[in-house]
Amino acid sequence: MLSRVANLVYWMARYLERAENTARIIDVNAQLVLDLQSRQAADDPRSWKPLVNVSGGIDEFTELHGDDVSERTVVDFMLFDMRNPSSILSCISLARENARCIRDQLASEVWEQINSFYLKLREDDYTRYAQLGSSDYIARVKTQIQLFYGIAESMLPRNEMWWFFELGRHLERADNTSRIIDVKYFTLLPSLHAVGSALDIVQWAAVLRTCSGFEAFRKSRRGQLNLEHVVDYLVCDENFPRSVLYAVSHAGFALDCITAEAPHLTDNPARRLVAQLHDELAGTVIADVIADGLHEYLDDIQLKLAGIHTAVQETFINYSTDGAKMLN
Amino acid sequence: MPDLFAKYDLGSFCDEMFAGPGKPRAHYARLAERFSRLEGMRELHERQQLADQTFLRRGVTFTVYSDDRGTEKIFPFDLIPRIVPADEWAHLESGLIQRMTALNLFLADIYGPQHILREGIVPREMVETSKHFRREMVGFAMPRGLFVHINGSDLVRDQHGTYRVLEDNLRTPSGVSYVLENRQIMKRVFPNLIRDYRVRPVETYPNDLLALLMHLAPEHVPEPTVVLLTPGVFNSAYFEHSFLARQMGIEIVEGSDLVVEDDRVYMRRTDGLAPVHVIYRRIDDDFLDPTVFREDSLLGVPGLVNAYRKGNVALCNPIGTGVADDKAMYHYVPRMIKFYLGQDAILPNVDTFLSSDPKDMTYILENLPKLVVKSVNEAGGYGMLVGPHSTKEQIEEFRAKIIEHPRNFIAQPTLGISRCPSICGDCLEGRHIDLRPYILNGETIKIMPGGLTRVALRKGSLVVNSSQGGGSKDTWVLAADDGAAEAEPEAPEEIKV
Repeated sequence: MLSRVANLVYWMARYLERAENTARIIDVNAQLVLDLQSRQAADDPRSWKPLVNVSGGIDEFTELHGDDVSERTVVDFMLFDMRNPSSILSCISLARENARCIRDQLASEVWEQINSFYLKLREDDYTRYAQLGSSDYIARVKTQIQLFYGIAESMLPRNEMWWFFELGRHLERADNTSRIIDVKYFTLLPSLHAVGSALDIVQWAAVLRTCSGFEAFRKSRRGQLNLEHVVDYLVCDENFPRSVLYAVSHAGFALDCITAEAPHLTDNPARRLVAQLHDELAGTVIADVIADGLHEYLDDIQLKLAGIHTAVQETFINYSTDGAKMLN
Repeated sequence: MPDLFAKYDLGSFCDEMFAGPGKPRAHYARLAERFSRLEGMRELHERQQLADQTFLRRGVTFTVYSDDRGTEKIFPFDLIPRIVPADEWAHLESGLIQRMTALNLFLADIYGPQHILREGIVPREMVETSKHFRREMVGFAMPRGLFVHINGSDLVRDQHGTYRVLEDNLRTPSGVSYVLENRQIMKRVFPNLIRDYRVRPVETYPNDLLALLMHLAPEHVPEPTVVLLTPGVFNSAYFEHSFLARQMGIEIVEGSDLVVEDDRVYMRRTDGLAPVHVIYRRIDDDFLDPTVFREDSLLGVPGLVNAYRKGNVALCNPIGTGVADDKAMYHYVPRMIKFYLGQDAILPNVDTFLSSDPKDMTYILENLPKLVVKSVNEAGGYGMLVGPHSTKEQIEEFRAKIIEHPRNFIAQPTLGISRCPSICGDCLEGRHIDLRPYILNGETIKIMPGGLTRVALRKGSLVVNSSQGGGSKDTWVLAADDGAAEAEPEAPEEIKV
């Protein structure tokens, strides 16, 4: 397939996954704030600021809202603000724009789903979010994205386009799951002493629910809900589809499928980096990680994912014409 | 049931539906009967809404350049079809085939022996000063002898009902995707009516276009790769580009996807560089190749023209066709038909005055408020003056421009072009329409039965372009009772030059 088209598909998947995870992050935070049980805490800027931190948009946010950190400003920024390139509306609009560029190659139902969703979302604002209530509104957004995945999954042929879609989606998911863990770990406990408290457990349950992993975690028989077990599950579980390891391993599988018909590309930098990261994750001892600093560990995963992204670009998309393989 | 047409005013124009007040023409009788069974305007509005929503959901949109309220719009669609009886269509078809044949011979001639210039039928200066004449292509042996592959001629009917050619579009005529989409919508909105009318299908167009493109491939390539070259997603016609690519099952590429190595064209794929043999380009000559034409073009492909001249890749339309759709050259088409084919034009032109001709110039300057003035190089309804609908200032502005650049303008009388009933708010009113059929010139000349009927939805307006508030209608060409019109019409005898 055309490099440019592959890139559009890859980014379309990334934007959609990012939108979904942003929705999940807002959701977990709204739930965590509720669990703080005190009205004062719910309005406390400290309850909402971590969200902006974790999504990496703190500079843009400060520029727009200064010190005014509240549910209204943060949710508005992360859901509806087109000036924030990572807001859900921005992501959906970009994903839809990419889909528009390649709509000649998508089943029309696939395009129509993202187009209708975009047209609907564009009409919404914070008032609508507040009216429906956070969890209801977010559930609707997630459903629309899941609907897209469902349609895409049942309609798109399993050709290269599909595998670039899978590649983008899983690289983005690996990154986003690591950020969701960070939201909780980073800031939300009132104090260090609270680690292991009832509140702590409630919060870890909320993080799992955000990743739709609560029941799955229970079934995995990992025992008690605590920092170590939950992080181990979300980072290193081989079977849970939103874990970092699972996402990285699927990105690797997508790369194998992409190069299946191109033997000259079997050994490529992106594939090597994915294999490396996969082995590192599989060999992780979470207790050590927590002792050495979880935040730094998650940061490092995010950097390595960025390295894989660059390698994908250089191998398939922006390669130099000199020395490129001439096909028949 | 209320009579939707009770207050319909025919005005002083030829009306497609009515021969006289309350008297529908024979081929509209069935539609009038069907509409009399609708529950008034309400039902019509409901159906219109269904159509509009479908267009929006499917993303059948175009882009307006000078509109800051968001760039994507639906091309307004009017539910009342334009119906063309079989015999009228047969007449149009023979006229369009004749015109296409002559235009191809004309292009072959001016990029070859130039008989028509030597004999003074068309002034040499007129050709050589045309912005779209490509000196680089003189003497080039065009693949299969086809100098133009696709024409979208714009036709209008004057107050007597005579079809006339208003202009030719020999570069990258657009709009055909709307023809196909409009039909899809109409099939949902009035399924029975379409069947009862025996409307001829338009759906084979993408197939015919693909066959044409394959026919142009270099002869030594057994399985040619065909691509559609688009300026990109921000182009006003991007929907159409992607629609046609999808219908034909070919790649849609941008200039940056193509590279030229050793005078061969390749596209950048994830697994390497793959050869390309035919390019259906939807960008103008000027932007094709920055090493030959406009240096500042970012849309084009450096080296493309050399690959083309070497015969390694075919372009559709070829380079240089624009000289024949220059609006001043249009004036000479009936003479070309006479010169090359020895025939009179079956479809007449609209009277045209050339401001480069001193006698015509005097007439134009004296009659500006009555005339339509068009810039010879512009398309899409840009750069034009409709005298009767313009202010004094606008007229004076054009007067100055015409005097400064006589070669750049032509003038035509303001035509009372035909109208067709259209949904206008709470009633049905007559609105002016034109018709753009699509003529393919490949192994044979093929014309899709129908074309894009554009309608000027603003009251009184004569400008049908989508960029100027125009909309479209479905065009129903009816099958002949005996099936005769469905047979291939006879091509005019070819005369070698």
